[in-house]
Amino acid sequence: MEQEKEMTGQESLELITRMIKRARRDYLNSGLSALLWGTVIPICSLVTFANYYLKWPALDYIWLLTIVAVVPQVVIAVRERKGKRYRSYDEDHLGGIWISFGIAVWLLTFVFGRYPVNGEGAIYLTLYGVPTFATGYTRGFRPMLLGGLACWALAVVSLYCNYPYTMLCIAAGALLAWFIPGLILRKCYLKAKEKHV
Amino acid sequence: MFKDLNPILHSQLRLAVVSILISVKEAEFTYLREKTDATAGNLSVQINKLKEAGYIDVTKTFKDNYPQTICKITPQGVQAFEEYVRDLQSYLNIKK
Repeated sequence: MEQEKEMTGQESLELITRMIKRARRDYLNSGLSALLWGTVIPICSLVTFANYYLKWPALDYIWLLTIVAVVPQVVIAVRERKGKRYRSYDEDHLGGIWISFGIAVWLLTFVFGRYPVNGEGAIYLTLYGVPTFATGYTRGFRPMLLGGLACWALAVVSLYCNYPYTMLCIAAGALLAWFIPGLILRKCYLKAKEKHV
Repeated sequence: MFKDLNPILHSQLRLAVVSILISVKEAEFTYLREKTDATAGNLSVQINKLKEAGYIDVTKTFKDNYPQTICKITPQGVQAFEEYVRDLQSYLNIKK
């Protein structure tokens, strides 16, 4: 693309389409993260299955391997980020989804597993946190990011509460995750609308 | 014929750069060079023109002790690109 020549309208549109396609087709991922978790989780599951018959106490802790696996995961993520020559919008979207998924799974596995009785409110609050945190992370909207974190903190708090007090946790979670960010969004929306009238 | 089209964008290399930057959040100079098949010198000149027009932000940093240039489209650049495409469509009589 060295010689500048007069472009026709059709050529301009073709150039735009070609460049956008080139950038979008450039999705390259080492696949190491998928391989890591696709290996660790089956190992933990199969060992737990085998231990049902073997009954070796040491194997009860096999799921701690998922915590150990976070270390190579961080190394992989940092290396992949360093090696990339561009940043796409999709990365932020996917990042928000996977981080919130990771936190939710961690809560379910290592925190809620210890409290089988009052877990219902906690599960709802954990689910509230997932899309809220992902939206906040993706959009860079801090109130929702904090709202998602608040939902997960309240999910832990609700484990220590009995019904109907768990309902207070759920109410607080929804207020922090949606009502307060909603008020802020509404205010910004009305301000922007006023500007354009 | 193209009097109404934005002259900053109606250039092969500049339009190619802006089209790529509209698709990604930010891109390194080397990435843009590879995707546009341009020489470093020419690309550098065109990037400067886009920067002067306020259509892109250029950040110079270091990565592993090597200089790194990162380009990112600005809201003004997005608006100009959208207007350019609209003008093209009306010129070609393409209905959305």
